[in-house]
Amino acid sequence: MAVAETTAPAPARGEPSAVADLAGETGARVWLRTAVGHGVLAALSLACIFPIYWMYATSLRRPEEVYNVSLFPWPLSVGNYTHVWDVIPIGRLILNTFAVAALISVGQLLVGLLAAYAFTAWRFRGQTLLYLAFVGTWLVPFQVTMLPNYTLLYRLGLLNTLAGVIVPNLASALGVLLLRQHMASFPRDLLDAARMDGRSSWSILWTVVVPNLRAPLAALSIVLFINAWNDYFWPALVLQRADSVVQLGLRGLFVGVEGPDWGGLMAGSGLACLPIFGIYLLLQRHVVGAFVRSGLK
Amino acid sequence: MGRIELDGLTKRYGDVVAVDGVSLDIADGEFLVLLGPSGCGKSTLLRLVAGLITPSGGRVLLDGRDITHAPPARRDLAMVFQSYALYPHLTVARNIGFPLRAARTPRAEVRRRVEEVAALLELGPLLDRRPRELSGGQRQRVAVGRAIIRDPRAFLMDEPLSNLDAKLRQATRAQFRMLHETLGSTVLYVTHDQVEALSLATRIAMLDDGRLEQLGTPTEVYDTPASVFVAGFLGSPPMNLLPARVECHDGRVRVLADDVEVDLWPGEDVEARDVILGIRPEHLHLMAAEGPAGPGGMPRLRGVVRAVENLGAEESAQCAVGGALVHFRGARPLGLAAGQPVALTTARDHIHLFDRHSGRRLAWRPLADRPLADRQSADHEPAAALHDGVTTHQRSST
Repeated sequence: MAVAETTAPAPARGEPSAVADLAGETGARVWLRTAVGHGVLAALSLACIFPIYWMYATSLRRPEEVYNVSLFPWPLSVGNYTHVWDVIPIGRLILNTFAVAALISVGQLLVGLLAAYAFTAWRFRGQTLLYLAFVGTWLVPFQVTMLPNYTLLYRLGLLNTLAGVIVPNLASALGVLLLRQHMASFPRDLLDAARMDGRSSWSILWTVVVPNLRAPLAALSIVLFINAWNDYFWPALVLQRADSVVQLGLRGLFVGVEGPDWGGLMAGSGLACLPIFGIYLLLQRHVVGAFVRSGLK
Repeated sequence: MGRIELDGLTKRYGDVVAVDGVSLDIADGEFLVLLGPSGCGKSTLLRLVAGLITPSGGRVLLDGRDITHAPPARRDLAMVFQSYALYPHLTVARNIGFPLRAARTPRAEVRRRVEEVAALLELGPLLDRRPRELSGGQRQRVAVGRAIIRDPRAFLMDEPLSNLDAKLRQATRAQFRMLHETLGSTVLYVTHDQVEALSLATRIAMLDDGRLEQLGTPTEVYDTPASVFVAGFLGSPPMNLLPARVECHDGRVRVLADDVEVDLWPGEDVEARDVILGIRPEHLHLMAAEGPAGPGGMPRLRGVVRAVENLGAEESAQCAVGGALVHFRGARPLGLAAGQPVALTTARDHIHLFDRHSGRRLAWRPLADRPLADRQSADHEPAAALHDGVTTHQRSST
């Protein structure tokens, strides 16, 4: 009895400590892995966010302090913004750029949507060839199509107009490619059910497909809008004047022979970025969870 | 009205024939189940009727009107999909009303009909929910609601219960039966589940490899399977199928295999042939005492018990008979243990014979000089002649 009493507690004392060691080791490793992961992500986030922060920080310094490298601008000043407002028609430039980017992205979305729907909902002769031709346009460098497009715009009398920037950009292989991939994985039964329920193909696209592709459409819209907003070369070629779109406005007025006006440039760029942030905030809430399959099974 | 006629309906994908010249006449108000294993072409056949697939040949008639090439929307058929195919972005009410809105029905009318259907299917409290907020059974009911709101000529159902658990499936089967009785509509129903088929169908069309294997009432298909395929598909466990040989010995027609001896009837006029002997597990029972296997003796299968399974109310035993494994089931307890030698028997009425090469059922036609009642008594010996095919008079259907 005495032996039993003395020997029995021994493993009972040993076991919990072994478990604790094991748990401690695992916990430390997990913590380390999490810390390293978070560290890498934080560094990447900082690398992305810092240039934007620096742009707004510089724009908010007093014009004579733009070369100050202190991390926080103080005292805050809107001098650079009023300067930009006085020197260039920044409001009109942003509005023009917004209109151009919006029309281009809507056009590309529409073309992409219709083409992708045709490529996935039907089987027709030459389908693969046509699809490859669509996607193949992505591989053609801009410089190859630049001159023919320019000549065509000249003949159509669209040089120096916003339409000249928009029309050649209304179709994009990127939109077709991305939307086709999404539509290919769209539940076929939903399309068949809508057909059985009496909808036409056109009606199915707008009442069934589009409402369920909101997430990819929103994501694609953001990408297309930013692409169009950032496009510099083609507007510069077609418009040839600084008071048309914001990209050219900023260049024309701030990159002069006396060197760049960093304060004005940062303020102008800061204003030019706002619509992008707005679009992102507006659409990003749609880019959450694909819920298409929730109606199935 | 909702009579559907299929006339030699065929669908080929390159060299693969998915549906091979199927002809069916589905009467108005009938509940016809297309039954078969996965890949037998039953869903393809349903989609051909729905118009979702274009046939390679044959015709589809609805109430005598050729709808072979009519688009799905113009066929006046409603379909319930295996995946339910509910529109994820719409509420239950809008899902159910979707077909009516497509037909530009006035809003008030849509609302009224949706409420009617919701009441019928007990979906009233769920009308404002979206599909992702519903359970499997509720989604299934919404899918049915979307089909019945149109009051179509016929319903097409593609394995609508396959995603439900066993208990819900049983309850929904009962609902379907009631719904069919209430609406009186024609239903063409696809399933691979024999229990669903046997319990719901007014007639079953068994499909194998794209071909119609047998068409009949559940009783006919179960009791007189037209082929080895049908016999082996229906039943749980399915029919025992043993390679055997029909021979005449000493003035008796017998079916013989290793450890199997079945005395059929007196006669010398039956040509010896290779057959498949079929006996359903539930028709086998233990021989109380080994009687004579000679003239007039009971069919006899001798074997050794391999395993006994508890099925709840029943037990199923697997016995090695000759080189084959024979299942038999009966009320629990069977009183058997693995390794125990057994002798099994069955009534002659429960013997099925199939041609070994074609797999088709062999029917035996009673000779005219014997009264019909004789054939139903194990004590009497039915003199008969063996025939190919099921179109001849079949024992168990009489």
